Amino acid sequence: MPPFGKVLVANRGEIAVRVMKAMKEMGIKTVAVYSEADKYALHVKYADEAYYIGPAPAIQSYLNIDAIVDAALKAHADAVHPGYGFLSENADFAEAVEKAGLTFIGPSAEVMNKIKSKLDGKRYAKMAGVPISPGSDGPVESLDEALKIAERIGYPIMVKAAFGGGGTGITKVNSPEELQEVWERNKRLAQQAFGKSDLYIEKAAVEPRHIEFQLIGDRYGNYVVAWERECTIQRRNQKLIEEAPSVTLSMEERRSMFEPIIKFGQLMGYFTLGTFETVFSDKTREFYFLELNKRLQVEHTVTELIFRIDLVKLQTRLAAGEHLPFTQEELDKRYRGHAIQYRINAEDPLNNFTGSSGFITYYREPSGPGVRVDTGYVEGNWVPPYYDSLIAKLIVYAENRAEAIRVGLRALNDYKIGGVKTIIDLHKWISMDEDFQKGKFTTAYIAEKTPQFLRDLKRWEEERAAIALVAYNKGLLKKRVEAQAGGKGVENAWKTQGKLMQMAPRVMW
Amino acid sequence: MPKVYRLYNDVGDLFTLAVETKGDKYEIKTESNTYEVEFKGRGTKEWESIVMVNGRPRRVEVDQGYIIIDGSEVFRIDRLSEEAPKEGAALEELLKGKEGEVVSPLQGRVVQIRVKEGDAVNKGQPLLSIEAMKSETVISAPKAGIVKKVNVKPGQGVRKGDVLLIIE
Repeated sequence: MPPFGKVLVANRGEIAVRVMKAMKEMGIKTVAVYSEADKYALHVKYADEAYYIGPAPAIQSYLNIDAIVDAALKAHADAVHPGYGFLSENADFAEAVEKAGLTFIGPSAEVMNKIKSKLDGKRYAKMAGVPISPGSDGPVESLDEALKIAERIGYPIMVKAAFGGGGTGITKVNSPEELQEVWERNKRLAQQAFGKSDLYIEKAAVEPRHIEFQLIGDRYGNYVVAWERECTIQRRNQKLIEEAPSVTLSMEERRSMFEPIIKFGQLMGYFTLGTFETVFSDKTREFYFLELNKRLQVEHTVTELIFRIDLVKLQTRLAAGEHLPFTQEELDKRYRGHAIQYRINAEDPLNNFTGSSGFITYYREPSGPGVRVDTGYVEGNWVPPYYDSLIAKLIVYAENRAEAIRVGLRALNDYKIGGVKTIIDLHKWISMDEDFQKGKFTTAYIAEKTPQFLRDLKRWEEERAAIALVAYNKGLLKKRVEAQAGGKGVENAWKTQGKLMQMAPRVMW
Repeated sequence: MPKVYRLYNDVGDLFTLAVETKGDKYEIKTESNTYEVEFKGRGTKEWESIVMVNGRPRRVEVDQGYIIIDGSEVFRIDRLSEEAPKEGAALEELLKGKEGEVVSPLQGRVVQIRVKEGDAVNKGQPLLSIEAMKSETVISAPKAGIVKKVNVKPGQGVRKGDVLLIIE
């Protein structure tokens, strides 16, 4: 029996398609919603039904709670899956869905309201015994207070917006002078971006890695931790490469986090999927809690591969009230191999990762052993400038990390996209980099390597231009175009087909 | 004297290449690098050619107008033009002096021009907007300088790669 009859997916791009795939496998009908810009998008084509919800800007469409709930009611859906981003962690949306008599596939509005800001998360973490970094216990009222706290915990510190998210509203500060400079500006920016100007202070970790733990719970108080994902390769606090398991953790270190995280879940009455983001320092071997993400993560795929489970199906079943199907011990035994996810963003790494919008005019996707591609686009699709730049995710899996990187490099070489700029070249460069291969990196990796990869990527591009010029000069382009069009006498392909059919000996069935 | 080509790819990048040809051997210079490209002829497959780049063999195919290199890299020429030779201009200058040209990254219609000739602009300052597919793209200054020439008028249609204005 499928847990639901029909599910509306309140998202777009690769995650909407990925969620629909899980629904289809469970025998659930799928409903897409779309904005003006996504009329011809893959997630709309892939769904059983689709409803228009508003103009291109997200605030009028994918963030429009009324329009989405309306569509769900019109389609007679039983449940709504929010994906990630957009409304996935919006308590008002979860409440509106519940009020309309549908199931929200994610934590309830009640649970979400317990953690409204990052500071609430820290408070729960403290109660559960999850290690938190030293800093202010609540929002810091004034600059004087901020300077005092910073003096006590020592520089460098992080100044964070309590209501921030998605890697924004965070600034590293190295000295009292800098703090004075940053304080008022960040307060103003936080007010503009998040509607609340509360700031707090934390000690910055030394050579930090970003490691997050996957918590899974049902409505009956059972919990497991599906180990960790390492998301240290980032630019400007946005993840680029994620892998599981982490290259640096020992089994003891990993296990030491299970108990406090499960305690945290129990304290909150949390259920379905949640992600504990932490920073980990190779030097001190300590974790610091960052925040709890109350949604399916972009990088959930790597956990799926090493445990051979489908987190979206599991999440849906748990939301429908089913029991957790395995214990921690059973889950631990399922672990095998190593998985890496490369985010294929439409961005220009040579130009400070600015987004690249346009039509995808050439698209060849990798496949084969150990390769999974979660994509939201096909050839001919338009990458609109209104939303995030993620085109697809390339996920590779192998017996161990070294082998996974080799699979990754092969798949990246097979991945060919034209019409928009992508970071595929950068991923190739990183995969060949010795420090990455050895697992020696911190969150500053991209920033530190920028001069090196800029030089190499630029040279690769120029070499391609040089080869293209020679190919043009030699008439290779023209020759091939004529051949692809069928020689000189271009004829209607249907006519040719018809003639061939007429000429061929036929078998009468 | 080498020929200077300006090559735009499908994503709006401009490459200025100085090319010296000797039979099937090409010496191609960019501002900071030199590429010795030699055309070797047909490869082992139908529609495949081999070129040597700085002594390294590369396989070249063409598919849907895209050049595929070693089956793993794609490149498309959008526009290619030969630069008129300038008397007395040093090659280095020809290769370099283009950074002040602001080219259109897309096809569309100019809706608003915020600067005029003679204006001083800062790096990153919005210069004009181009409308395409109902959305407006703001073009910012690639460097600080004085606007020397504005080539377009509001309402005018532009193609990808068109020089919109020049900053000196």
